[in-house]
Amino acid sequence: MRTFLAMGILLVCSGCTSMGIEPWERDVLAKDEMQLTTDALEAATDDHIYFSKEASSGGRGFGGGGCGCN
Amino acid sequence: MSRKKEVSISAALAAATCSLLGTGIPTAVDAQEEPTWDFNTSLLYYGEDENRVQEFSLKSIISRMFADDRVLTFGLTIDGLTGATPSGAIPLDTVQTITNASGNSVYTVPAGELPLDEEFKDTRVAITANWQQPVGESSQMNWGFSASKEFDYLHLGLNGRFAKDFNKRNTTVSAGFAISSDENDPIGGTPVGLSSVLDVGDLSNRGGSEDKDIVDFVVGVSQVMTRNLVMQANYSYSNESGYLSNPFKILSVVDGTTGDTVGRVPAPGGGPTHEFLFENRPDDRSRHSVYTQAKYYMNGNVLDASYRYMTDDWEIDSHTVDLRYRWPVGNDKYFEPHLRFYTQTEAEFYRLSITGGAPLPLYASSDYRLGNFDAITAGAKYGWKTRNQNDMSVRVELYQQSGSVPNGQIIGNQAGRDNYPDLNALIVQFSYRFKK
Amino acid sequence: MKKVILLAALLTWAPLAAADPGLNLSSYEGKVVVIDFWASWCVPCRRSFPWMNGMHDKYTANGLVIIAVNLDRSADDAAQFLAKYPARFEISYDPTGVLAKKYGVEVMPSSIIIGRNGEMIERHAGFKVKRQDEYEATLRAALNLEQEK
Repeated sequence: MRTFLAMGILLVCSGCTSMGIEPWERDVLAKDEMQLTTDALEAATDDHIYFSKEASSGGRGFGGGGCGCN
Repeated sequence: MSRKKEVSISAALAAATCSLLGTGIPTAVDAQEEPTWDFNTSLLYYGEDENRVQEFSLKSIISRMFADDRVLTFGLTIDGLTGATPSGAIPLDTVQTITNASGNSVYTVPAGELPLDEEFKDTRVAITANWQQPVGESSQMNWGFSASKEFDYLHLGLNGRFAKDFNKRNTTVSAGFAISSDENDPIGGTPVGLSSVLDVGDLSNRGGSEDKDIVDFVVGVSQVMTRNLVMQANYSYSNESGYLSNPFKILSVVDGTTGDTVGRVPAPGGGPTHEFLFENRPDDRSRHSVYTQAKYYMNGNVLDASYRYMTDDWEIDSHTVDLRYRWPVGNDKYFEPHLRFYTQTEAEFYRLSITGGAPLPLYASSDYRLGNFDAITAGAKYGWKTRNQNDMSVRVELYQQSGSVPNGQIIGNQAGRDNYPDLNALIVQFSYRFKK
Repeated sequence: MKKVILLAALLTWAPLAAADPGLNLSSYEGKVVVIDFWASWCVPCRRSFPWMNGMHDKYTANGLVIIAVNLDRSADDAAQFLAKYPARFEISYDPTGVLAKKYGVEVMPSSIIIGRNGEMIERHAGFKVKRQDEYEATLRAALNLEQEK
């Protein structure tokens, strides 16, 4: 059930081709603290700790957000 | 003639012209250089209570930036582990003696205590390498390699990712894969699943090294929603096959009425005083995960919220909710509290103990990591800029796991004991990052 | 004041000039104009400024005009950027993005190159250090100069 719900979110998002902001409005998103992974070291450390102590692991994605330059 | 030299001459001419007009001399250096190196290092302490695992870890990520957003990154991690971890056997009201993992001696468990694997020391070294570059006008790709080695375990892996922007860079669609080949080579050899823990020196039920292969796929989309909000959602699939058991984990064989571990006479040279079996997990595991995250900027503060759902064919389901809130303090410091909630259901073959005399199940494990538990992490991070405008931070967190054994599995005297003690751990991490 | 006049002048141009060949280019008639859209938070913009300074120094005598339109919401952010990356070319300010929208900016930074006849020749999306020679060749062609070896 939850899988379908989450997949639905994915589909909706991919259908949002008209949603978003202008390229020059990315000032906030360009900030370090607004990146999807702000601290790669902390993320890798947590992934390792929880992988060792729990049955789930990873799942995190990558890419997107940010200044959208070039 | 190099272009750089031309520019310098032009700059000098411009300087000369400007000084004639009295408007001041522009600086000879046209721009500050962008950093080409990025060093990010941390020291981590992880410590569980009750004489369980303690770990120190040094981790470093070094990036070299090349023209036009191409990046080469190396990672190095060195972990030192000591301490003991639950063996999977149940506590008893009497003393227990168990043969150690290598099969060359025994350790004794005091009455009433949870049997922990004897003290161990291990060092692990892991390296990663990654190359990132833009592709065409609106795409990016990454290629990576990973390897790690500890005394009895080797991992080798390759990974790749591709991401493409759409819709004026508001939407990014990405896909990635990772493949790993691991080798488990415990001292004494890998035990045959569900065979007995034998006397000291008896390695008749041990084999050699065993392999494990892992394949991962992930697809995702990230979407800029507003000027202050970006979200992402991913689906990932992972399959592991080969030797998936933990060669050190055991189960107690118990009496069907009392629930106490069946006794045994150890050999003169030493051996277990009770009956134990090595665990046995299936040789295949498939997992599906869905992950979504939002980062929301509110007047200088940043909320990072994520949710992950995982389900696999071992019947483990888990939910993870992770929340971070970053508060800037002044211009160059921040405070970031963190809260994480986790819950999982037990694997289909998880059991507290094996009932003697009954037919053996195909698979069984009492590893607490495959059990039914909730976990909370609560902590905070404090970050600041040094005098050289480099980043430092420290974070302190507490991690607590509380598990429970499914009711139907508790037999007799087991009911009065703490069969699934909480795990309490302290996490402290210092980080330092500088760019040049 | 000069910047307000400049902004007004730019606003009177229609974007995608090919649709209307008879534009009024006022003081820039006969010149090659590069309109560059930038912002303080845009990392490739830091790389483009030294190059634009170079182009300015080299080709102003040949009739090149560079106008860098800043899209920061706050002029303070632009000023901080300019203190670190000084510009010898003209800077203009478009904090609400009216001009950027008119010129159809789809990525930061973007450059619109307008030929001597007032028509748009080319649009550069992004700034790639490795394509500087290519960008310069476009300018030389627009200025009716022979290509360099």
